[in-house]
Amino acid sequence: MSIVEVQGLSKRYDPPKGVLAVDDVSFTIERGEIFSLLGPNGAGKSTTISMLSCLLRPSGGDATVDGHSIVGDAQAVKSVIGVVPQDIAVYPDMTARENLVFWGKMYGLAGVELTSRVDEVLELISLVDRQKDRVDKYSGGMKRRVNIGVALLHRPKILYLDEPTVGIDPQSRRSILDGILTFREQGMTVLYTTHYMAEAQELSDRIGIIDHGKMIALGTHGELVKIVGEEARVDVAVDRQLDGMVERWSGLRGVSKASVEEDHAELLVDDANEVLPHLFEEAAGGGSRITSVNVSEPNLELVFLHLTGRALRE
Amino acid sequence: MTKVWAIAWKDLRSTMGNVPGLAMMLLAPLALAGLLGFAFGGGDSFEISATKVALASEDARPAAAPGQEAPPLAGDAFAGILTSEGLRDVLEVTEAKSAAAARARVDDGDAAVAVVVPRDFTAALYGAEGQKTAVELYVDPTQEFGMAITESVVMQALLDFNGARAAATVAVAVAGGPAGNDDAAQTAAARFVQDGGVSQALVIAERAPSAGEGEDASTVGLILAGMMVFFMFFGAGNVARTILTEDQDGTLPRMLTTPTPTATILGGKFASVFLTVSVQLIVLLIGGAILFSIDWGRLDVVAVLTVVTSAVASGLALLIISVVRTPGQAGAISAGVYLVLGLLGGNFGTATDAGTYATVQGFTPNGPLLRGWDAAMRGGGLADISGDLVVPVAFGLAFFAVAVWRFRRRYA
Ligand SMILES: Nc1ncnc2c1ncn2[C@@H]1O[C@H](COP(=O)(O)OP(=O)(O)O)[C@@H](O)[C@H]1O
Ligand SMILES: [Mg+2]
Repeated sequence: MSIVEVQGLSKRYDPPKGVLAVDDVSFTIERGEIFSLLGPNGAGKSTTISMLSCLLRPSGGDATVDGHSIVGDAQAVKSVIGVVPQDIAVYPDMTARENLVFWGKMYGLAGVELTSRVDEVLELISLVDRQKDRVDKYSGGMKRRVNIGVALLHRPKILYLDEPTVGIDPQSRRSILDGILTFREQGMTVLYTTHYMAEAQELSDRIGIIDHGKMIALGTHGELVKIVGEEARVDVAVDRQLDGMVERWSGLRGVSKASVEEDHAELLVDDANEVLPHLFEEAAGGGSRITSVNVSEPNLELVFLHLTGRALRE
Repeated sequence: MTKVWAIAWKDLRSTMGNVPGLAMMLLAPLALAGLLGFAFGGGDSFEISATKVALASEDARPAAAPGQEAPPLAGDAFAGILTSEGLRDVLEVTEAKSAAAARARVDDGDAAVAVVVPRDFTAALYGAEGQKTAVELYVDPTQEFGMAITESVVMQALLDFNGARAAATVAVAVAGGPAGNDDAAQTAAARFVQDGGVSQALVIAERAPSAGEGEDASTVGLILAGMMVFFMFFGAGNVARTILTEDQDGTLPRMLTTPTPTATILGGKFASVFLTVSVQLIVLLIGGAILFSIDWGRLDVVAVLTVVTSAVASGLALLIISVVRTPGQAGAISAGVYLVLGLLGGNFGTATDAGTYATVQGFTPNGPLLRGWDAAMRGGGLADISGDLVVPVAFGLAFFAVAVWRFRRRYA
């Protein structure tokens, strides 16, 4: 049995007129995998996580976590999940250690077990040396690590991480991503949300792409890029008359989609090697010079573009 | 229960780390009470040490009229007044063997005033109309203040003796006896003095404010009690507001993702508020006792008042937080509510005993509490304050009930 089974989950804020933030979403998460929800801001990722954390009551549908219903058995669900909120939610006027001790008590830990778990987590988030410093004296990356550490204290069966790398330096991001990969090795299940395509690609066993509250695609990275077929993306910049060029290009064989993006054109092509010479020919015929070309093999970015007609902005 | 304490302890620690908040909770009331106490003439700075008095009584028993008991020595009664319990803080009386010995003490600087009761004091009191005598005050001229106090006490005592004599005379006259029957008057006056009528009427400490040091202390005490209750509202408000700030900062939602029931989290927050204001109150009580020598009263009474006062302040703060949405709203609304209650309840030294205003005060949560503290400072027992606690306890319970109901709906 999957550890998480989501069935037709919906959430409308302030019904009946409010935003339909999550719209009939269904998916499952298998034990021991990293599952990512990938989508732009406002897609409904945090709302989904809140419902799976029993913080928000679904407007429709249900989900089970480790066999317990999020609607009917919230207490049981809460004892198997560790939630890392999108915004840092620890006490800035307390030290890292004090925070971990306090949150450990909230998870029902006490005595020797509490102390040893706190020590363990401090080690895990590499804050042993700074454990006696107040959190408001920490860098952004260190605060993020405390934020994550809190959710690990009770050894949850499944860890929810809601955009844990937003707004931090590359080094901290790297250490957080490595940490998550380690959790998987230790057998933990992870539900990860992000709007960074590269993160989802690197971490995930399976990815759900979510947009406007709807799950628009679901599968492994390989399965997802197949949606766009063998297509590659070609970015072309010309020195003038871009608009006219795009019309000529889109008439070419092997070009399935062409659009203007600011000062360059974006084309989806079956085979870049075959199409590129024709692009140059057409440009020369139209009196334009191509100033740069960039070919990208299929990726999630492209999948999103293909499915929504919009770019997944990083 | 562990979790409730964990939450309360965390909040208490965080309050203690917040220096401006602490100043508001602890220093402001003490400083204001000190200032106002000074302005109203109370306080440690004005406290006078007891005036040293050397008392010599030369009063002698007059010969008894035939067939009658000799009257008691009025000089003893007089000495009894000067050395009475109520005056102990004002006059430090030592008895001297003779008038000369008493005066010598003043000369040596061992006493500020010598009081000499004349040989014919009793005789003059019980004697025929027109007989006069004088109590002598021998004064160190540099001890003006001590002299004024002693003089007023002696004057009061003498007035009372004279009054007793006059009253007795009139009583005899009204009873239909022959006017000017000095024997009857003498007997009546003697009995009046004897029965304690005079000595009771002469509890000077209660009648002469200028001499009552105890009253000064309770002035600061009353002012501080008002300030305490007022600033406890703010102290409670500050902690209760963390429910809203923690909601915004995400730590409250995060608590709700742990296997901790909502009731426990709210219970923890309620305990935080109550614990914080209790500590605030206890620190203020101790501070008042040390800085202004306030005697707050009996320990059991103070304990009960502490619990009830803290509960009222907490309940009110939680109620306000439970009906507003943002910390900003909470700040503005509570400041208004606290100010109005402070004014209505008499927290700013405007307490009165009668009239419409007193009635209004009686139905505020804080007004009767202040009366309770006043009663405690006057040495009242639990029975004396129980009447003052009915309204505050009712308010406190109602506040808590509404707050719980509101929070349940919000975080269901
Ligand atoms: N508390 C709320 N009340 C009303 N609308 C909300 C609330 N939270 C989020 N929304 C709306 O719901 C949609 C999804 O938001 P969210 O789940 O936060 O997206 P994401 O986490 O993917 O960025 C957005 O349109 C957002 O504006
Ligand atoms: Mg989000």
